[in-house]
Amino acid sequence: MKRKAALLLTLALSATSILTASASEGDQKTITMWTIATEGDANHEAFGKAIEEYEAEHPDIHIEMEAFENESYKTKIKASVAANELPDIYFTWGGGFSSAFVEAGKAMELDSYYETYKEELPESTLKYATYNDKLYGIPYVVSISGIFYNKAMFAEYNLEEPKTWDELIEVCQTFLDNGITPFGVSVKEAWVMAMFNDALTLKCVGDEKINAAFTRSGQSYLEDGFLDAAEKLEQLITMGAFSESAAGISNDEAVAAFTTGTVPMFVTGAWLEGSILSADNPDDFGFMPFPVCSENAQITDSMGGSADMLMVNPGTENPDEAATAAFEIAKLVSKYGYMSGAGIAAWKVDYEMENQSAISKTMSDCINESSSLTVWSGSLMEAEDYTEYQALLQQFFVGDLNAEDFVEAMDAQLNQ
Amino acid sequence: MNKVRKNKLAIFVFLLPAVLLFAGIIIIPIFCSGYYSLLDWDGITEGIFVGLENYKTLFTSKTSGFSKSVVHMLMLAVGAVFIQLPFALFLALGLAKGMKGERFFVTVFFIPVLLSTVVIGQLWIKIYNPDYGVVNSVLRMLGLDSWCHTWLGEKSTVMWAVFIPIIWQYVGYHMLLMYAGIKSINSELREAAYIDGATYVQTCFYILIPLLKPVLRVCLIFGVTGAFKSFDMIYVLTNGGPAHASEVPSTLMFTNIFMKNKYGAGSAIAIFIIVICFATAILIKKVFKVEGEEKTA
Amino acid sequence: MKKYIGRAGRYLYYLILLIWTVVSIFPLYWMILFSFKDNSEIFGKSALSLPESWDITNYVEALTKGQMGRYFLNSILVTGVTIFLTVAIALMASYAVSRLLWKGRTVLNNIFMLGLTLPIHAALLPVFLILRSMRMLNTFSSLFIPYTAFALAMAIMICNSFMMNIPEELEESACMDGCGTFGIFFRIIVPLMKPAISTIAIFTFLQAWNELMFATVFVSDSAHRTLTVGMQSLVGTYSTNWGPIGAALVIATIPTVIVYLFMSKKVQDSLVAGAIKG
Repeated sequence: MKRKAALLLTLALSATSILTASASEGDQKTITMWTIATEGDANHEAFGKAIEEYEAEHPDIHIEMEAFENESYKTKIKASVAANELPDIYFTWGGGFSSAFVEAGKAMELDSYYETYKEELPESTLKYATYNDKLYGIPYVVSISGIFYNKAMFAEYNLEEPKTWDELIEVCQTFLDNGITPFGVSVKEAWVMAMFNDALTLKCVGDEKINAAFTRSGQSYLEDGFLDAAEKLEQLITMGAFSESAAGISNDEAVAAFTTGTVPMFVTGAWLEGSILSADNPDDFGFMPFPVCSENAQITDSMGGSADMLMVNPGTENPDEAATAAFEIAKLVSKYGYMSGAGIAAWKVDYEMENQSAISKTMSDCINESSSLTVWSGSLMEAEDYTEYQALLQQFFVGDLNAEDFVEAMDAQLNQ
Repeated sequence: MNKVRKNKLAIFVFLLPAVLLFAGIIIIPIFCSGYYSLLDWDGITEGIFVGLENYKTLFTSKTSGFSKSVVHMLMLAVGAVFIQLPFALFLALGLAKGMKGERFFVTVFFIPVLLSTVVIGQLWIKIYNPDYGVVNSVLRMLGLDSWCHTWLGEKSTVMWAVFIPIIWQYVGYHMLLMYAGIKSINSELREAAYIDGATYVQTCFYILIPLLKPVLRVCLIFGVTGAFKSFDMIYVLTNGGPAHASEVPSTLMFTNIFMKNKYGAGSAIAIFIIVICFATAILIKKVFKVEGEEKTA
Repeated sequence: MKKYIGRAGRYLYYLILLIWTVVSIFPLYWMILFSFKDNSEIFGKSALSLPESWDITNYVEALTKGQMGRYFLNSILVTGVTIFLTVAIALMASYAVSRLLWKGRTVLNNIFMLGLTLPIHAALLPVFLILRSMRMLNTFSSLFIPYTAFALAMAIMICNSFMMNIPEELEESACMDGCGTFGIFFRIIVPLMKPAISTIAIFTFLQAWNELMFATVFVSDSAHRTLTVGMQSLVGTYSTNWGPIGAALVIATIPTVIVYLFMSKKVQDSLVAGAIKG
């Protein structure tokens, strides 16, 4: 018994000695920061380099970053905002996710600091960091969604990239005739299905209307364009464009079916590049914008934007240092993340890019050529609407709702 | 003796830590949830007091899936009482009789409880996978292609598909409790019954099970409240989908609090769970009264 | 004839035990296979398929990324303290409500059952606020205190059910010998409660060792992270390499199995010992 107690004591002591070792020195200021750049995350290295470089340039400031896993971070950040336990700088998602944070006064207004960086951080990337015409967030990455496709499988059946709805249907039919399910998707994790429907709806109604509808800005969901989009989705479901089992498989399982060449197409965001690059034959894969489905939209209307961002806690002891550090670090992460292929830079690129993958090049061209960028529903919508939207898509997919029921339920949710 | 049993100081010292912890970490949060459930609150900005509005919408709304979730919850509890516990008892009685490999089996049957539910959930996702999962592969091998399903994706099958892992995982848990209980029953009693010529099955029913009552009651309470609160496995397997087909109150509560930011509505469900769990636990305690327990009170 | 049925019954019983053994061990077997696979094998092939190669890169990655060693120690510390507190507090409380005589003991015993009813997700924010007001966030106590509180209800119930099997005569004779309340508790009750203690320790261990949500929210600095949270840092935002996570899971589970084997033997031994004496 005594020996056990001694062991416990030793453990306790060693734990405390680890703690005291990390105390700060001198009158260096410590800025705390929370992100989701965990060891397993694509941006981990970029954040590490950025902090190192920033600290080297500002020896009086020490940045202490803690990284958390994406899903549990969502719970943590909400609880921390509610309990007023935020660090100086925190990662969050723009648009609907953070609107309550801004409303509750838990995000610092950054307009005066932005003046310094106007030239380097284009205003077009700030759409979802801006609330009531004021800037609250600093983005570092810009993303895009579209159709990832298997070039080898397209070549096998002599198929071209579809540019219009009719061409898309033809491509799907060809694959179906050969016993291949055209699209990979997960309906169990309904955000994947939502990414698909977002793209389809955008190309049916145009960027202004989808923005207005998804942000509860008085846009009726009963208009023809939205019904058209729902009917087109219904057509795809009925013809078998998605596997029937999609309701029971996860995103990881669906992605595996795509990267191993079982399904030829997958609609999702730029992050799929990571999985493609680790596939057996990354060169087989390409990226294209979602086809145009009506006269209301152009091929260059893209789904994407900058939703990942850093915000500053207005309760911080060092507001100036924290705000400046947040901008500088965002800038450096934008650069290092882009160079390592973790995402496309939101800040101006004034450096040479080497070894950029073909797929990343296509995506950044698409962003630069886009006539409009609308971020997906997950960032655009308020949490409650988004959860309901996903639930309705599930019901639509399993046949509980038809196209008309779906638009009516959406209208009821968004314009109640 | 009574003087010793009425030692005020001892009562105070023995109860103080438990009461303090309980008041701070269990009772206050229950009251907080009760208060939150009267608010229209997103968990972040100021809440608005709305009285019993959240409860009203909960019980009257047709789209929220709450009534479905209650039905599923009751199904799980019935499964726990009539499948899980009897099977655990069957195993415990057999093993406690003293047989070859007794220790091995007791140890092995507990393994599913040792692993975190998230891990076990991932395994069952693989087992149910429509393309390469074990279930469908076996069915195809037997030529029963038409029996294949997307087990976690079809409304008609999903509830059964989440049912099995939940029941399965905790059989070992109840078995261990029962096994420990049987073994701590005086062995002379058992042997005496044997000598009287009773078979083991008779001994079980007339001697062991009645003596095991206190432990069985604990298992019953754990099993039922556990079923009422079950969350992890369903969250991992389906998160209540598709279209509420495997929704239970706790997943609905989670969705409301953390996905929809409807803290008030979520807390109302929490209060519902607390009330129904507590009422059932008290009821079980009252119905299966154990002799000698209340006589001195 | 009767003998014949008995033997058939026994074989049937062994068959059931064997089947149940297979379905119980399977997850462990699967986890070990999983820890040697890569993503395309994990998500593209059957759970039963063998890995393409048996190299240990997943293990190397799991061990070198982050500070798994420290997280492991933290987990041991938090879990150890939780078990100790739970057992000690539950034994005392159980004795007070089931053996000592005072008004309101049944009511208190019933109130303890409330601990079984509170859904952990609903408690998150209130407990967070309470811990903050007591300035306990970012310490180990912000974990073992709530863990103990949540484990207590179950522990007290298990204690009560075992305490019923202790004959009151034992206490009475000790009383005759001049033992006070504390003397009876420490000399008579605690030693006889060994099987209950081991059982509670196992369940408390599982709860504390696997808990994730409190550990993520209440602790922000990596110096106090537990293994479950640390393991999560292997998960990426959009794409995750699951192989190393499988390896980390195996590493995290092995101590669980070892502790259990040790405790399980103890449970069984102390039960047998108790039966002979009683």
